[in-house]
Amino acid sequence: MKDTKYNVILYIVIAVYLAVIVFPFFWIFITSFKPTAEIFGEGAFSIIADNPTLSHFKSVIFEKNMLQAIKNSLIVSVVTTVYVVAVSTLAAYAITRFKFKGKNLLLGLILAVSMFPQMVVVGPIYNLFMELGLTNSYGVVLAYSTITLPIAVWILVAHLNKIPLSLEESAKIDGASAFKTLYKVVLPLATPGIATASIIVFINAWNEFLLTITLNTNKEYHTVPVAISFLRTQFQILWGEVAAATIVVTIPTLIIVLLFQKQIVSGLTSGAIKE
Amino acid sequence: MRKMGFKEFLFILPILILLTVFSLWPILQTFSYSFFDYRLNDQQKSGLYLSDKYNVDLFMETSDYVKFYLNGEKDVVDEEGAKIIGETIALVDEQQALFEGKTGVIELTGDESDKVGSFNATLEENINILVNQYELVNESNYQYIIEELNTSLISSNFTGLKGYSDAIKDDRVHNALINTIIFTIASITIEFILGLGLAVIMNKSIRGRGAVRTISIIPWAIPTAVAALMWSYLYDGASGVIAQMFENIGLIASSEELLLSSTGAMISAIMADVWKTTPYMALLLLAGFQTIPGSVYESAKVDGSGPVYTFFKITLPLIKHSILVALLFRTLDAFRVFDLIYVLTGGGPGGSTETMSVYAYKLMFGQTNFGYGSVIVIIMFLCVALITTLFVKVLGTDLMDTN
Repeated sequence: MKDTKYNVILYIVIAVYLAVIVFPFFWIFITSFKPTAEIFGEGAFSIIADNPTLSHFKSVIFEKNMLQAIKNSLIVSVVTTVYVVAVSTLAAYAITRFKFKGKNLLLGLILAVSMFPQMVVVGPIYNLFMELGLTNSYGVVLAYSTITLPIAVWILVAHLNKIPLSLEESAKIDGASAFKTLYKVVLPLATPGIATASIIVFINAWNEFLLTITLNTNKEYHTVPVAISFLRTQFQILWGEVAAATIVVTIPTLIIVLLFQKQIVSGLTSGAIKE
Repeated sequence: MRKMGFKEFLFILPILILLTVFSLWPILQTFSYSFFDYRLNDQQKSGLYLSDKYNVDLFMETSDYVKFYLNGEKDVVDEEGAKIIGETIALVDEQQALFEGKTGVIELTGDESDKVGSFNATLEENINILVNQYELVNESNYQYIIEELNTSLISSNFTGLKGYSDAIKDDRVHNALINTIIFTIASITIEFILGLGLAVIMNKSIRGRGAVRTISIIPWAIPTAVAALMWSYLYDGASGVIAQMFENIGLIASSEELLLSSTGAMISAIMADVWKTTPYMALLLLAGFQTIPGSVYESAKVDGSGPVYTFFKITLPLIKHSILVALLFRTLDAFRVFDLIYVLTGGGPGGSTETMSVYAYKLMFGQTNFGYGSVIVIIMFLCVALITTLFVKVLGTDLMDTN
């Protein structure tokens, strides 16, 4: 008897929690179909619009360049993911497999980089990019390494540590070089870890705001978060278009989360648990 | 474990390069910026100048014009004026002789820069006397001439620790620091309590646990800027449904208050942050829970301890490590908060939600004042180091010991 009562409370708490999580998305979703006149005034709090419209979606996609922003976001996120994960895999392999001086220093450094405020690097990187003529280009992906490298290295170190050394040793006896061992033996075994790191890096790059808004001031190079924050005129925020744009750009994220939930959770928590 | 040879060193070379160029070098740069009055929009201050510099070419050209114009005034002045003109031209000749044969921008010794300073001052004084007393032919030109002469001298913009002492006295820095601390402590406390509760619930074997976890990570995966914009719509006084709800249940007097009053704006920012990151906190804590072997609870049950006792005396100590790691990372995240505040309130109203990051950003990219902006950033950096040290003290050194 007591258990059922307890369970009911449990499920109510969970339901309330989920409602709180989902409600903002739900409200944005219904707003995106409301004509501007209904967003303010009496229609503002009704759930179903009297005159539903797709005009905000049309405007966002065809006039406000949101497709360009999505394209930019895809380019920078994919490029960042590819090179950051490649670099991190090499580093994580060396960290878990070789003895070298300054290993703890390197690890401490990577940890420190993940901790310091991003604002600390933005000024000099801005000047560097100005001098090299790299502002308003996809060169911004290089600067993304500051925010993505640490987490990728941590995830990969955690995963590579779990792969038994015996397999590599036999490869070494057969005369394989370190690189060949990594490529032929370790990588196939490390695929889940690499996938996890890739997804986390991708999402981090997709969400990046500060570097893009400072380095790429030209609209042509705005990524999704920056482009959405510019959906306003001097005097007002274009709520209808903001809502539509939010729906459009949230869909890719939702798909990724739904597909890769397990990897994301294991990636997020790999820094926190110690076995 | 094998020793690292040169070939193996190549494995870490790429990461070393990236860390150096995009993390270490920028930090050192920011550190050096913080000792200069470095402003990108001011020609005189758009670099780091340790000593005074002199643009000799510009000086020579301008001073030739000075002589040319003054010579043209001889007919419109009386005897006294002619005397001043004569003296001034002699002065210019003398100064030109001093820099004869030099070109480009040169560094000045302390002695030379004093001379240039006094020369510029005397020249300006003389010209002002002439302009005030006579109807000069080239009257409109003198102002530009003086400006040009002053630009020829690029003074050192090295300010040393002045930026830091200014920051210590700057009310806006105090305000930003207090806001940052309030934001950090409030959101971390709420997140931790809610996150712990959630983790306990999600740790139970309930139906649909996977679905709950999936939905939980959605707010984390949404770009902060997008989430902030979403919330600013929900909080909006005229059309925001959350603001309306709060008004209806009597939490606030009118729906405008949420974003337009200073406490309201801070609470709004904290609530949005809690919404976005509580699930993340819960997942981190849940991961900790799952490392506890079930046998621990069985023996606790055998010993007859109640659920509350078990939770506080057994569960919490066992996941101490996870808790501290989660708290450390979330605290640092909250301390450097930028996107959320920048998009949601822009630091307003009246600076009531301006955090250190937002203030530093406004200084650097709003006013292009990189010198003072860097001071703020370095102060943030020191705070982060302090927070980390405190956590590591409590946590022990095993945070770094991954192997």
